[in-house]
Amino acid sequence: MRILIVDDEALARSYLVEQLAGAGDVEIAGQATNGFDAVKMAEELPCDLMLLDVQMPKLSGFEVMELLGERAPAVIFVTAHDAFAVQAFQIHAVDYLLKPVEPARLQQALRRARERLRDPAPDRLAVNTRVAVAARPPGQWLERIAIREGTHVHVLGTHTLDFIEAQDDYLVLAAGAKRYRKQQTLAQLEAQLDPRRFVRIHRSFMINVERIARIEPYAKDSWQVFLSDGSHVPMSRSGYQRLRAVLD
Amino acid sequence: MHPILNQRGRLVGYLLLWVSFGALLGAVIAVTGEGSLRWAELFAIPLAVLMGLQCLPCWYLVRGMAPAEVPAWRLVGTWLGTGCVLLSLWLTVAMLWLRVLKYADLMPSVDPGTLIPLLVFAGCVGILIAILGLYSAAAVERSREAERRALELRALAREAEMSFLRRQLDPHFLFNSLNSVAALIGSDATAARRMCLLMADFFRKSLKFGAQQTIALSDELTLIETFLAIEEVRFGDRLRRSVDVSEEAMQMRVPALLLQPLVENAVHHGIAHLLDGGEIKLSAKVRGSLLNIVVENSCDADRPSSRSTGLGLANVRGRVESMYGTRARMDVENEPALFRVLLALPATQLEAPRAHPDR
Repeated sequence: MRILIVDDEALARSYLVEQLAGAGDVEIAGQATNGFDAVKMAEELPCDLMLLDVQMPKLSGFEVMELLGERAPAVIFVTAHDAFAVQAFQIHAVDYLLKPVEPARLQQALRRARERLRDPAPDRLAVNTRVAVAARPPGQWLERIAIREGTHVHVLGTHTLDFIEAQDDYLVLAAGAKRYRKQQTLAQLEAQLDPRRFVRIHRSFMINVERIARIEPYAKDSWQVFLSDGSHVPMSRSGYQRLRAVLD
Repeated sequence: MHPILNQRGRLVGYLLLWVSFGALLGAVIAVTGEGSLRWAELFAIPLAVLMGLQCLPCWYLVRGMAPAEVPAWRLVGTWLGTGCVLLSLWLTVAMLWLRVLKYADLMPSVDPGTLIPLLVFAGCVGILIAILGLYSAAAVERSREAERRALELRALAREAEMSFLRRQLDPHFLFNSLNSVAALIGSDATAARRMCLLMADFFRKSLKFGAQQTIALSDELTLIETFLAIEEVRFGDRLRRSVDVSEEAMQMRVPALLLQPLVENAVHHGIAHLLDGGEIKLSAKVRGSLLNIVVENSCDADRPSSRSTGLGLANVRGRVESMYGTRARMDVENEPALFRVLLALPATQLEAPRAHPDR
């Protein structure tokens, strides 16, 4: 079993390496010190299992999982916080270990991982939910969005977004002059964003309410919403009602 | 609650006072007018008791109009009006009573005209005494209330202190540090031992300083040094720090554990989110009557706004405000890659060490 260790603390990594040394069938595939490296290494190295910290600079463990999507190996989260456990199992993590890590618990988690790798069926099911719950601490709205473009990973604060447009099977995220593409449906993203700030004003458009400059009628039962940077977005009748419900 | 009506003993004492007032009035009537002392007392004592009962409701007016809170003209006007009403009511009853007594043949013929000036005078004095008495009762009640409130405030402050201590012992800090210890035991037992001692030192100091209102800045700094030494074991060279505190500032008095949460924020919300780490700068100087303290850290330029830092800062701000009011300031500068908290506290020195410690 080839394992990738991801943690921004050197001691936490070396502790896991030391504990894994006892297990015969385990090989350390690599060690990543941050989320960017983790995404890259998980794709480039052959590895079966990731021991993944949650709170790391730039990209959290959940964002790493979201970016890897279907390509993600089996994962065991290792963190000092117990608050993310439910989320972790929602994306079908093999296990959830609390720091300081108890050696016996780690061995138990490895046994589970071996079973999972022999019979990987549940992992396929996990992919959709994985995207939907990733990167959001429980009880909070999404504050940043992780996007891959080729080998690059962008992390966008949701406050920088102007609007989001659905095209075919991906989304176009507009932030200032920049446009980013992300494989996701508008409904999925809508469920994660703060509904007081982001409103679905059209079947394929969602806008950041703070960016609205003015609204002009366009045809019967349709409007154009002009944003503060001059761009405009169409609004349907039901979108108009949703927007009014938020603004009133 | 009425101070007299709600206790029978007090009511009896109060009415006895009025009975003696009546007795005095009766004596005066007997001496100045014609007729015997016996009928004069029979006439005066029930009237005095009536006066006492009449004045009881004035308590509600007294309580509603504290002399310090109500303009003088309203105070004087209200009491003049009330006094006139009470007095005329009382005089009317007095005249009726006189007639009843005369009808029952219990008194010699007295000309009411000679009695009225005396009754008016006695009524005024009686009402005045009653109102002043009620005012002093209200003052006693107010001071008791103030005492109770002060006690309550003290209890609240104590509770705040306890919850502050609980927050101080952040469990994740503890768990992460223990994870480092677990890691070090395998590879570097000496470093593991040092880490255990640092943690013991940190918690002991937190408890000790947390029990005090204010401590010397130098003490707060030793706590912060210990905290940073522990975090350095975790973060390695990602955590860099510089401390620049003048000799004079070291001796100044600061609220206990005020700066430590700021430094903790700087590590957990600043440095921890930077791939290559960053620097925490702490400086303190005395300028005139103010102690200026700056806690500054580098941070991720595209960080999301964090709720928990906001909360931590609000706590610090709340403590500064409740302790110094407008004599202190706290400013937060949130630049793209830099986070800075500036504190200006009144510069007060700890007591100078005693000249003769052996005495």
